[in-house]
Amino acid sequence: MNRQFLLIFLLLAAASLSLALGQVSVGPAALWNGLTGGDGAGALTVQILRGPRVATALLVGAAFGLSGSIFQSLLRNPLASPDVMGFSAGSGLAILGALTINLAIPMPLIASAGGLLTAILVLALARPARGHNPLEGAPAVTIVLVGIGIGFTAAAISSFLMTRLTGPQAAEAQRWLAGSLAARDWSHVLQLALIGAVLVIVLLPQIRNLRLLELGSELATGLGANVKRARLGLAATAVLLAAAAVAIAGPIAFVALMAPPLGARIARTADVGGRLLAAALTGAIIVMLADLVARASLPGLQLPIGVMTGILGAPYLLWLLSREIERGEL
Amino acid sequence: MSAISLRTESLCVGYRDRSVLENLTIGLPAGQSTAILGPNGCGKSTLLSALARLLAPSHGRVFLGDADIHKTKTRLLSRQLAILPQFPIAPEGILVGELVKRGRTPWRGLFSPWSATDTEICQKALIAVGMEGFAERPLSELSGGQRQRAWLALVLAQDTPLLLLDEPTSFLDLPHQIEVLRLLQNRNKNAGTTVVSVLHDLNLAGRFNDHIVLLGPDGLVTKGPPETVITPSNLKKAFDLDARVISDPVTNRPMVVPL
Ligand SMILES: Nc1ncnc2c1ncn2[C@@H]1O[C@H](COP(=O)(O)OP(=O)(O)O)[C@@H](O)[C@H]1O
Ligand SMILES: [Mg+2]
Repeated sequence: MNRQFLLIFLLLAAASLSLALGQVSVGPAALWNGLTGGDGAGALTVQILRGPRVATALLVGAAFGLSGSIFQSLLRNPLASPDVMGFSAGSGLAILGALTINLAIPMPLIASAGGLLTAILVLALARPARGHNPLEGAPAVTIVLVGIGIGFTAAAISSFLMTRLTGPQAAEAQRWLAGSLAARDWSHVLQLALIGAVLVIVLLPQIRNLRLLELGSELATGLGANVKRARLGLAATAVLLAAAAVAIAGPIAFVALMAPPLGARIARTADVGGRLLAAALTGAIIVMLADLVARASLPGLQLPIGVMTGILGAPYLLWLLSREIERGEL
Repeated sequence: MSAISLRTESLCVGYRDRSVLENLTIGLPAGQSTAILGPNGCGKSTLLSALARLLAPSHGRVFLGDADIHKTKTRLLSRQLAILPQFPIAPEGILVGELVKRGRTPWRGLFSPWSATDTEICQKALIAVGMEGFAERPLSELSGGQRQRAWLALVLAQDTPLLLLDEPTSFLDLPHQIEVLRLLQNRNKNAGTTVVSVLHDLNLAGRFNDHIVLLGPDGLVTKGPPETVITPSNLKKAFDLDARVISDPVTNRPMVVPL
């Protein structure tokens, strides 16, 4: 039944392609040479130019995938993800704000603060309707719609802040806002790997709660989950995972939205734990491939990675929305 | 299994500004089966939610033994008291066996491996509901009656001395209703489990339960054994129903004949 190995195989294939292909392509021998610590031009391309970039793509994609998977399980809604609900845009706004006033605080911290504040704002505005089960909190669709609104607001303010920036700062901000893995070095990889490892360790003991929450808040309480605390903990973990990815690569859209359902389908897994793993692997594959296409498809031109994920993700989002409307969910 | 009793003390409970039950003091006899009866919207589910710590009282308390359940750790309670809500949510694609396994959560550590006891208890729960051949079947492919029994197996696997169920027989045809009620009766008689269920059928409730809590539009009408609770005057008060009550020819339990 379980086909996680298929995803792992796809991940390895995507990583090899990403390391080998680009403006200058290296052959299998040079790729192997580079991976095993050899030297020569091809090996150096692999080790210095592409290595950190591919590793960053892997970590960023995995973080987005996990974040989306947590939100979709938590809200039991395929529209739920940090990008659609505006949390990534909130992280992005915080980073642009910090750039504008020259705040010297590490990016991941600023992005986390922005993401968490946005999440708090969305949850505070999405009040449950009267007569709604008090244990359940606001319905997922309400949270998603409020999040979309807040996300647009954050994006609009970000655009305004962009006009205040000048010179190289403006170019850097512009590239980052569209999502970019260019010029990432091993220090970024290390940073993200550390944060990611901590968040995964924080997530692991919460998987049990996520599994119970799937049964509805009443049964989850009956089976021993402290529903409110469990939801808060999981939502915070998911926001921070997305914020870490946004801080390094920008608010790349749609990866967190698409990776969980795609991963679950490929891995054919229904359990929460399996779906989390599948979403992380699929997220990594999507970001690596999107980055590969973005930098290698048009000679002499680097497209922002967000453009690539948007080409795939936007139609998917539209399809989801129309399906939800058909089902009377929206 | 030693029987611990669940009782309320001056319980007031409702939603936001809307109070549903006021000043309710009742006990649910330990080791017995209790049915909560009353007209639609009178607060049966609300009462069950308060008893299962799903809804915090605005006033008064709910005690399990000597402990106030709203001050007890929810995980500790989950080993004492299982609740099956009226509309539980089925995770997409879940298999019956996986569903039942989740009933073991209260007894398992965070990362503890699956034990032989856990497997055995899940197996027994599936056998108790007559679903032993269905472990590998997706829940969504079952009939309404089978699905209801799968949910019952989940709370049976929880292996608690108290079992609260909200309308476990609704949407089932008569034979399936009786099947579920028998199953609960067996659990009560054989394992000494205290069973509390919200039911709609007055005759079945009287037939399969030791104790009845009868609610009306203005709160508690009366409580006690079926014979003293299911009477024409009480039915009039609770349901505004004119009826005769005769004793049924098979078990001598009260049987309602509407006029
Ligand atoms: N989540 C809720 N918010 C507000 N009012 C509710 C809610 N749930 C139930 N009620 C109201 O409380 C009353 C009792 O409901 P309930 O306990 O579900 O009745 P019963 O189970 O006896 O049919 C009803 O009038 C119902 O409209
Ligand atoms: Mg009800």
